Amino acid sequence: MEQNRPLTLLVCALGGEGGGVLTEWLVDIARHAGYAAQSTSIPGVAQRTGATTYYLEVFPVPLAQLGGKRPVFSLSPVPGALDAIVSSELLETARQIGNGMSAPLRTLVISSSARIFTTAERMEPGDGRADAQRLLDVVKAFSREHHVFDMNAIARDSGTVVSAVMLGAIAGSGLLPFPREAYEHVVRGGDTSAPDKLGKMAAASLRGFAAAFDAVSAPRAQAAFVSSVLAGDTSDAPPPASALPADLARRFPPAVHDMLTLGHARVLDYQDAAYAALYAERLGRVLDAERAADPAGAHGFAITREAARWLALWMAFDDIVRVAALKGRASRAQRVRQEVRAGDEDIVKVYDHFKPGAAEFAALLPPSLSRRVTAWDRGRQARGLAPWALPLKVGSHSVFGMASLRLLASLRWLRRRGSRFAEEQALIERWLAAVEAGTREAWALGHELALCGRLIKGYGSTNERGKDNLLHVTDHLAAQPGVAPADRALAVAAARTAALADDAGKALDAALVEHGAPARPIKAQPIRWMKRKPTGGA
Amino acid sequence: MEVSFSKEVEMLRLGAGDTFHGEGILAITKGLLQSGVAYVGGYQGAPVSHLLDVMVQGKAYMDELGVHVEACSNEASAAAMLGASIHYPLRGAVTWKSIVGTNVAADALSNLSSPGVTGGVLIVVGEDYGEGASVIQERTHAYALKSSMCLLDPRPDLGVMVRMVEEGFRLSESSNMPCLMELRIRTCHVRGSFECKDNMAPAISTRALMTEPAGFDYMRLAHPPVTFRHEKLKGDERIPAARRYIVEHGLNELIPGRRHADLGIVVQGGLYNALIRSLQQQGLADAFGETDIPILVLNVTYPLVPEQVADFCVGKRAVLVVEEGQPEYIEQDIATLLRRRDIQTPLHGKDMLPSAGEYGVEVLSGGIGTFAAKYIEASEASSSAQAWLAGNRERREAVARSLSAPLPNRPPSFCIGCPERPVFSALKLAQQQTGPVHIAADIGCHAFGTFEPFSMGHSILGYGMSLASRAGVAPMMNRRTLSIMGDGGFWHNGLLTGVQSALFNGDDAVLLIFKNGYTSATGTQDIISTPDDEIKERAVDKQQSLVDKNQTIEDTLKGLGVKWMRTVTTYDVERMRKTLTEALTSDFNGLKVVIAEGECQLERQRRIKPWIAGLLKKGERVVRVKYGVDEDVCNGDHACIRLSGCPTLTLKDNPDSLKVDPVATVIDGCVGCGLCGANAHAATLCPSFYRAEVVQNPKWHERLLHGLRGAVVRALQPA
Repeated sequence: MEQNRPLTLLVCALGGEGGGVLTEWLVDIARHAGYAAQSTSIPGVAQRTGATTYYLEVFPVPLAQLGGKRPVFSLSPVPGALDAIVSSELLETARQIGNGMSAPLRTLVISSSARIFTTAERMEPGDGRADAQRLLDVVKAFSREHHVFDMNAIARDSGTVVSAVMLGAIAGSGLLPFPREAYEHVVRGGDTSAPDKLGKMAAASLRGFAAAFDAVSAPRAQAAFVSSVLAGDTSDAPPPASALPADLARRFPPAVHDMLTLGHARVLDYQDAAYAALYAERLGRVLDAERAADPAGAHGFAITREAARWLALWMAFDDIVRVAALKGRASRAQRVRQEVRAGDEDIVKVYDHFKPGAAEFAALLPPSLSRRVTAWDRGRQARGLAPWALPLKVGSHSVFGMASLRLLASLRWLRRRGSRFAEEQALIERWLAAVEAGTREAWALGHELALCGRLIKGYGSTNERGKDNLLHVTDHLAAQPGVAPADRALAVAAARTAALADDAGKALDAALVEHGAPARPIKAQPIRWMKRKPTGGA
Repeated sequence: MEVSFSKEVEMLRLGAGDTFHGEGILAITKGLLQSGVAYVGGYQGAPVSHLLDVMVQGKAYMDELGVHVEACSNEASAAAMLGASIHYPLRGAVTWKSIVGTNVAADALSNLSSPGVTGGVLIVVGEDYGEGASVIQERTHAYALKSSMCLLDPRPDLGVMVRMVEEGFRLSESSNMPCLMELRIRTCHVRGSFECKDNMAPAISTRALMTEPAGFDYMRLAHPPVTFRHEKLKGDERIPAARRYIVEHGLNELIPGRRHADLGIVVQGGLYNALIRSLQQQGLADAFGETDIPILVLNVTYPLVPEQVADFCVGKRAVLVVEEGQPEYIEQDIATLLRRRDIQTPLHGKDMLPSAGEYGVEVLSGGIGTFAAKYIEASEASSSAQAWLAGNRERREAVARSLSAPLPNRPPSFCIGCPERPVFSALKLAQQQTGPVHIAADIGCHAFGTFEPFSMGHSILGYGMSLASRAGVAPMMNRRTLSIMGDGGFWHNGLLTGVQSALFNGDDAVLLIFKNGYTSATGTQDIISTPDDEIKERAVDKQQSLVDKNQTIEDTLKGLGVKWMRTVTTYDVERMRKTLTEALTSDFNGLKVVIAEGECQLERQRRIKPWIAGLLKKGERVVRVKYGVDEDVCNGDHACIRLSGCPTLTLKDNPDSLKVDPVATVIDGCVGCGLCGANAHAATLCPSFYRAEVVQNPKWHERLLHGLRGAVVRALQPA
C-alpha cells in the first residue's frame, strides 16, 4: 500500500438508499480507529430516487504516526485515481466507469447486479431495458478486480437497507485498514450486547453486513453466486409445457418444437381442439412456404418458429373472457398472496380494476348486434361524450366477485360466435398471407414480416393501434413494386422497431416515409375545442 | 420536517474542550453560536437547508441563549431582517441558496449595504454550482462587487470555516459592510472535525431586551441625498477598513513554495483542496499540502488587498489565478491592480482553465499542466500526469464504444405515492381532450413533471413565477395556458407576482396549485398552510391526508376576489382530468384556480410508520394496501408506466415464454396510494391491475367471515 496518498472510495447509490448513513459510518469507523478521513456528497440532486454519489478518502497511516501533519483531502472523486467504486445499481456503476472514474490497473469495483430501471427504460412500449450483459462487460473490462452480486436481494433477505450491505462489501474487500469488528461496532451503534439482544434494525443491518462481507471476501462462494444470478432465477421459470401431439411432432421440424408446444397448448387452453387444429394448419402453411424458400433449413426454420409464437398469441387474443379466466384461477390468488407478502394469518382482499367499454361487449355479440352497439357508442362520441365504459372494482376474494369472474370465463362458447372473433381471424389471415408471400419471395422478407407479430398485443386502443400499424406495414412495405426484397425486408424491420419506440407513432411515421411508404392516416379524435377570441380585434 | 436533527441539536451545545464531528454546514451553524449571533433567519434550499432546520428544531436551546430564529417567507424577507444590524450592535446571520435566493434578496441587500451595518452581518449562501446544482450557473460574486459586500470563500476545512464565521462578523463590524460567505455544495456536506469553543449568548437578545429604539439618524436610511454619501464611504472608508482587517488578522493564507518561489498561484479558498490534489497529481505537492509553487489562498475573495496581491506577484515569472465560474472577476481585478503598479508579472487564469463549469481535480490538473509546461521543465511526474489525463480520455471513449447506446439519465422524480404525480397523469389525459396547452412551470417538486414520463412545462422563470410568466404568452394564444405552482412557491412569491397581478388585470388565466402542505423539495419545511401539529396528533386515521384542515390558501384567494376555484383530491385522476378540462374550456374568463390537494407523502410516511409499528406491537388490526399487476394479463405495452413513472411500478421479464416484452410489476415499497387503479380507470388501461388489502391481526368475526367466504370462493376456482 502506498503510504503517501489517501485511499479513495466512490460510493454510487440512489436517493433514499442510505448512502448518507453509510458515509457517516465510514468516517466514524476511521476516526475511532485513529485514521484521518473525510467524506463528501452531493445529495441535493439525488432527492427522490435520482442517482447520487458519495466520496470518501482515508489516509492509510494512523494520525498518531503522522507527526502532527494533516493530510489535505479532495472533495471530489478524481477520475482514474480511485481505489474502489462501490455501487448499489449496475447501470450507475457503468455510468461512473463511463465517466472515466475506474482505472483498470487500480480500481476495485464492487457492484450490485440488481437493476433499478430508469423511467426512460420503463416507459418504452417494447423492451427499453439497457443490456445488462454489456454493462457487466464494462465492469469487467475497466476494473482491477470486480465483485458483482445482488445487493438488493441480500438487503431484502436480511430485512435491512442496501447501505448496510454496501458497508459489508467495503469491509470484506479489505480496502480500508480497519478490522471487521470496527465496522460491526458502528453498525451496532456502539451496542456491544449479544446478537439476539440487539435492536431489530441493528440485527438486520448486521445480517446484511455479514452476507455482503462473505460475498466479497470469499471469492469462490461469490463466483458461484454470480453465476446463479446470471443464469437467472429459476424459481420463476414456467412449468414444463405439456407434450407435443405426435402428429404435430412429425409434421414440424424439431427446431420449432418448443415454440410449437407452447403455442399449441396456449390455443387449446384458450378455446378448443378445433381451434388448436386451425393453429397447426395455419402454421403448416408458413412451414411450407419456408421450406420452399430455404429447403436446406439453413436458417433453422426461424420463420416458422417466430410464426408459431406470434400466431399463438394473436389467436389467443385478449378479451374479457380470457381475463376473467386468468383472474379466477386458484394459482392466481396464491400468487397475489406471495406478491403482497401476506403472512399466513393475514386476510387478503383483492379488488380487480376493470373498465370494459362498448367494444368489449360488442366483441362477444354476433356481427349485426355488435354493429348496433358500436354505432351507438360512436354516436355518443359524436355528441362530445366520452366513449361508454363501465369502471368496475371486482372483489375476487368475495363470493359475488368470484362467481362473476367464473360466469364470464364460462362464456368461451360465445366468443366463437362473436364479431371480434371473425374480425381477428380475417386479420390473422391477411398477416399470414403476407408472411407466406414474403417468404416465398425472399427468406429475409418473410422473417421480418413474421417478427411483426410482436406489434399485436393488449386490449382496447393498444390492440387497435398495433393492428393498424401491422396492416400498414404489410400493405405498404411488404409488397412495394420495384423495390428489391432485401430492401423491403430492411424497411419492414425499421418500421417494426420504430412502431415499438413510442405510442404516438412519430417514429413509425418517420420510418414509413423514409422507406417510401405513406405515413399512417390521421385518426379522427374528438377534441373539446376552446378558442379564445383575440382581445385586440374586439 | 423530513429529517430529525435531535442528534445535531445536541452537537450545537458542545463547548471548549469538545471536538465537533459532522457536516460542514452544521459546523457553520455552531460557528454562529460561538460568535454570539443574536438573530438568525433565512429561506430553505439545498445545500444550506440544514443550517436553518437545525436551529428551528433546536428552538429550546436557542431560547436558552436568547437567539431569535425566524423561518422567513422568502429570501427578501430574510435579507430585510438584517436591517436590525443597521442601528444596533446585534450580530445577525441569514442563509439561502444562491444564485436564486440572492436574486430575490437583492433589493434589501442594496438597501442594507448602502447605509452599512453596526452589528456584524453574515449571509451564508449555498453556492449551488457545478455537479449536483439545481439552479442557473451564475456567481454570487457579482452581488458582492456591486453592493460592496465582503465575500468570504473559506478553505473547506471545518476549523477554517468556523474561524471565518467568527472573523466574518468582526470584519463586518470593523468595515460596516455586510459579509457574504459562499459555501459550495460539497463543502456544505463535507464531514470533518474541529475544536469547539463555548457558545456566546448575545449581549442584547430575546432574553436581554433593548429599552429604547435608536435616535433618528437620516444617515441610516437608504434614501437620497445620503445615498451619495454612502457611495463615497464605501470607497473611502469601508473597503479600506475591510482590507486592513483582512491583512491584520491574516484571513488570507500565504503558503510558501518549496522549489518554484518564482511562480505563484492565487486561489479561491473553496478550491484549495482541489488545487492541492491537482498539484499532487502533477508531482508539485505532497499529501499534506506542502507545495512546490507558492500559493495565496483567498479566504476573502472580495475585497482583494492590492498590496497583498502585488507583493505576492512582484518579481515572479508568472502567476496563475484559479477562479471558478465566469466572468473572472478576481483575475480582472488582479490584472488591473498589477497594471496600475506597472508590475509586469505575466498573469494567467481563464486562458489556461475553462471559463465554465466546476473546477474538479481533473479540470484543474489540465490547467496546471499547461502552466507547468510553460514555466517548469518537464519531469517524470509531469509526463505521468499527462498519461493519466490521456488515459481518462481514452477510457471514456472506449466505454462509450462498448456500450451500444448512451446510458439513460436518472433524474430525480416524484416519491413513491407522491400526491403530485396523479395530477400530471390527469393533465396528460386532459390534453388528449383539449389539445396541448402551453404550461408555465415553476420551482418545486412539481418541476419533476418536466422529466419523463410526463415531459411537461414550457418555461421556468423563478420560484412562484409561473402565473406571472404566462402574462405575455396567454393573450397571444388561441388556447388557454396553464400555470403550475406549489404551495411553497405560492407563499414565497406567487401570491403577489402572479395572483394579484392576474386579478388586477382581469386576466383569463388558469392556475393549478399543488397544496401538499410543505415546501417539500427543500426538505418538507413547514409553511403557513401546513396542517397544525395538534390536528396531526388528533387524527384517528393517521394515514389520511390532512392538508384539507388548513384553508389559508383558499381563504386568501377568496379574500383577494378569486371567483372560480375548485379543490380536487389529487389521487382522483378522473375528477382531476374533468376539472382541468373544465378550467381550460370554461366560459368564465377570469382567473380560474384549481387546488390539487394531497399531503406530501414523505410527511405522511413519517407519521404512518411509527403509528403502524405501534399498532402491530399492540396486536391491533392494521390494513396495508399494495397494488399489483397480473403478469399473465399485462400486455407489455407499459402505457401504465407512461402515465405514472412511480419507482415501484417497474418491469420484470415476461414469465410467459411465448412473449418477449417485459411485463409491468409493482415491487416492494408500494404505499398503496391508489394511482395505479385510478389511472387504470381514467385512461382505460389493461385490466391487469389489482388492489390488495392485507389485514393484519383481523378481528375474530372478520376471520370467521373470511373463512366461510374463502371456502365458497375456492370451490368456484379452477386450479
